[in-house]
Amino acid sequence: MTTDHLRTPAAVLARHPGDALDKPAAAARALWDALTTADALPPPDTDPHALVALVREAGHHGCPAPLAETLLVAGPLLARAGLAVPDGPLTFARGPLDVRFANVDTASRVGPPGAAGTDDAVHVSGTLSRVPWARAAQAVVVLTEGPGGPVLLALEPDEYRLLEGANLAGEPRDGVVLTDTAVPADRVRRVPEAVLAEAEWRAGLARAALIAGAARRCVELTVAHTAARSQFGRPLSHFQAVKQEEAKLIEEAALVGAAVEAAATALGDPGGAAFAAQAAAAQASASVGEITRIAHQLHGAIGFTELSPLRLATTRLWSWRDEDGNEQAWFARIGRHVVESGTGRLWPLVTGTPAA
Amino acid sequence: MTPPTTGARAVQLRPETQRLRREVRDFLAEERAAGTVMGRPDSWLTGWDPGFTRRLAERGWVGMALPKEYGGGGRGNLERYVVIEELLAAGAPVSAHWVADRQAGPSILRHGTEEQRRRFLPRIAAGRCFFSIGMSEQHAGSDLAAVRTRAERTDDGWRLTGTKTWTGGAHLNDYAIVLARTDDESGDRHAGLSQFIVGLRDPRVRIEPIRLLSGEHTFNYFHLEGVELGADALLGRPGDGWRQVTGELALERSGPERFLSTVPLLTALVEQLRRGACTPEQHTRVGRLTARLSSIRQLSLGVAAALEAGRPADVQAALVKDLGTRFEGELVNEVREILPTAARTDTTKGSYPELLATAILHSPGYTLRGGTNEILRGIITRGLELPS
Repeated sequence: MTTDHLRTPAAVLARHPGDALDKPAAAARALWDALTTADALPPPDTDPHALVALVREAGHHGCPAPLAETLLVAGPLLARAGLAVPDGPLTFARGPLDVRFANVDTASRVGPPGAAGTDDAVHVSGTLSRVPWARAAQAVVVLTEGPGGPVLLALEPDEYRLLEGANLAGEPRDGVVLTDTAVPADRVRRVPEAVLAEAEWRAGLARAALIAGAARRCVELTVAHTAARSQFGRPLSHFQAVKQEEAKLIEEAALVGAAVEAAATALGDPGGAAFAAQAAAAQASASVGEITRIAHQLHGAIGFTELSPLRLATTRLWSWRDEDGNEQAWFARIGRHVVESGTGRLWPLVTGTPAA
Repeated sequence: MTPPTTGARAVQLRPETQRLRREVRDFLAEERAAGTVMGRPDSWLTGWDPGFTRRLAERGWVGMALPKEYGGGGRGNLERYVVIEELLAAGAPVSAHWVADRQAGPSILRHGTEEQRRRFLPRIAAGRCFFSIGMSEQHAGSDLAAVRTRAERTDDGWRLTGTKTWTGGAHLNDYAIVLARTDDESGDRHAGLSQFIVGLRDPRVRIEPIRLLSGEHTFNYFHLEGVELGADALLGRPGDGWRQVTGELALERSGPERFLSTVPLLTALVEQLRRGACTPEQHTRVGRLTARLSSIRQLSLGVAAALEAGRPADVQAALVKDLGTRFEGELVNEVREILPTAARTDTTKGSYPELLATAILHSPGYTLRGGTNEILRGIITRGLELPS
């Protein structure tokens, strides 16, 4: 009898649920080791659709590791910039930092003094706040404004100080403090402006994929609970009032799932990837309110306690919907584009077929 | 007990469909210039324009998923989806052929005799034969199996007696597919029902208008006063009516008309906003509607792909219909709040206040037609109880 099915990424993730976050760095290391041992980490040339599917699984189990950040944001951005992608968990952050060339090109006549370097090596100072899983990451990938435009940096753990913090679910959200940190040229790249937008929608899609997974968990737990729990002599699921709400929960979770699937499929389409990811991020964040409301209401008091695993999904959802942009921020970007980019833009955008 | 999930992959429409979509947009641009396509909400219910239908048919866009041997386009359901979503988003007047194209054609193809196929399908695809749905009755709304219209055997066929209600377009269309009881001996309410193709100009058919609350005439009572039909009026097998009718429901419930009915109003709103200074809050609220529209469309496309692949999708279709039709109504209310405008019927047809008025006056219908949403939610949760 083969045990191959235990070596699939999904099976490994299922054995690392999110209910032990007292030592998150150790939990992340254990998960990553398990994925590596099972040869379950997707290789770099993996179909992006499969990466999104894996991140959904991670969101479903609340896995204690920065899989979303590594597979959908930090890794692809490093690869796109032509930087080496380290093995191991990665995370991603953006923010204003003080970035100076380590070796200023004094002969350069371009821009003010310090605007050019003889190579890409830089010194960096400042604080990046609430970086996901920073304490567990092999590298923090940072997108920031350099002296001559946006730069992507890969920082190694001995180059920063950590200020430990956590989100509502207890997942690490750490401050990363840089004090005149020297970053060698082979871990710095100047990147085109377009990478700023791509990093934004990639982070949004990563978060949306996690949300889609956790939303499915809410549905499964709620369906199981309303079937198992009886009141007035019959299962909760037999009450019309419960059915009506349960259906809406299933619908809202399916809606997020469909938006994320569409964004995953669109990752291979340069014209449609940005809008599809933005729409998924917006819908995922927006749907969390309804999904968590119904799941908790139908669970009754037990869901409000540590006696039920529901909290493992809902506390994450309450954090994830605000991280990397809440729904209002995504709505604003989409709406501005629809209104300002020209007449009759709405429908062509939604269908992914631009007006001729 | 597995909650429904979406298909493994989002639908990736083939490159040819991009070309098709552009052809439809070019056609719509011409029609818009000619004043026949006016971006009206709910145009699949009330936009009856047989001339427009025939021009569509000339392009091969009516009955396009019917086989070529019956005059159809021989194209896939996803291509049909692309065409109809373009027509609906543009608010084109498609109600004349709507039921013939969506329901009657596929139903006759699936259940009809060879003679019935040859008789009806080429005319449907030519945009020259229009159908109504003869299902609901006074005592049979959500509970469709309660229909009382009777079909009795005669020497050479059937005699139908009863009254159908909410029959859209019965005063304009050519035929209706009528669900009638052929046997009440059986204890099972779902057995003993059969479908018939009934000519709406039959002397024993009487059409009586039922005006919408807006005063518009689309609905009717459709009285069958002893209509004599030949044996060839029976569609499918006697007693199979329930199975035939429920088999069409996924098609009827998940299509783009279940979330696009009011999108022309959103398009009109965006054009209004473009004329003035748009506030951040207006942007945000337009963005919210756009994201939800896009997400619902993906879910609906997933059902279309499942149906195309021959997979059952009844639960998924119910889900799309509840989400989509609630969205149609929410959109109207949001649009009101985004750009406060007095809705008016006493002004130029096609002006923004008049489009808003139409969308508001039609809003009770969105979550009723095609199966009341509360009942659909029961179908969704019943799906959880079936052995997986």
